[in-house]
Amino acid sequence: MGGASLKKAPFFMDILINGNSHTHKGTGSLDDLLKELEANPVAVAIMVNDRVIPKAERVAVTLKPGDRVEVLSFMGGG
Amino acid sequence: MNIEKKFVLGGQEFESRLLVGTGKFSSVEVMLAAIKASGTQLVTVALRRFNRERPSDDLLSPLAKLGITLVPNTSGARNALEAVRAAMLGRELSGSRFVKVEIHPNPHHLMPDPIETYEAAKQLAKEGFIVLPYMPADPVLAKRLEDAGCAAVMPLGSAIGSGHGLSTTEMMKLIIADSGIPVIVDAGIRSPSEAAAAMELGCSAVLVNSAIAAAGDPVAMAAAFAMAVKAGVSARRAGLMAQSCYAVATSPLTSFLIEGKT
Repeated sequence: MGGASLKKAPFFMDILINGNSHTHKGTGSLDDLLKELEANPVAVAIMVNDRVIPKAERVAVTLKPGDRVEVLSFMGGG
Repeated sequence: MNIEKKFVLGGQEFESRLLVGTGKFSSVEVMLAAIKASGTQLVTVALRRFNRERPSDDLLSPLAKLGITLVPNTSGARNALEAVRAAMLGRELSGSRFVKVEIHPNPHHLMPDPIETYEAAKQLAKEGFIVLPYMPADPVLAKRLEDAGCAAVMPLGSAIGSGHGLSTTEMMKLIIADSGIPVIVDAGIRSPSEAAAAMELGCSAVLVNSAIAAAGDPVAMAAAFAMAVKAGVSARRAGLMAQSCYAVATSPLTSFLIEGKT
């Protein structure tokens, strides 16, 4: 299948991360995106186009151009 | 109603009746030391957008090491839909079913929106969350939130971070009298004496953040709050004396000093 080799090849994709435009270079997997952001995968929660992505389902997600991604972590709060 | 023997939320028993918020501390080190000094087993945390400039700036790992229960809040949510999303994101991170529902659309007074809070709480309780709603001190809403499946209600003492203490005492009494779930005072507490007073009223617990974080010595203040909460619980259990409009003498009023002249 050509899909497998296509998936491996890095490409550029414009997406929105936390409201800011971002050019992602990679396969579009959430793993690749977190590496690119230098984010600890355990310490962030992800939402794509307003849908919360459980950690177990991250592998099943491939980003598309124009996707709105929110990457969140814990901070102090009352 | 007397304070229940055990403080139970969502089927889990907690020794400490002091919940601590993690906002406003000058450093992570001070926050961790204050949490330890407070003896708390439940701390609230907020969600924020991941900072690409400071990827290591995260509270999850230091807090996870303490072995306490994290209660993510939904601060920043302006309505029920956003609060439910925030709760799900918080659960992903904390691994805990606890959520503090917090919906306050007006940044000036930060008063909780009762309608959106109720909608979010109802939905999250159905989803299996242990829901702790921050709410106005309203006995009718408290009952509605209890019926919706909340694990506790958290009426405010006064505005968040205002330090105006328990300005809702009379409403708090009505909420406590009717409530079948724990009542936790959230917001406004400034001094340990106010936390003790809340416990004497019959509250099950108090949530304190600014009063500890913004104190001159946050660690010492956290310890003071721990003692005050325990004192308040003990006082409530011991039974406060009745009040009277008139003086009730504690010493005998026999006028033996002037008896000889009569």
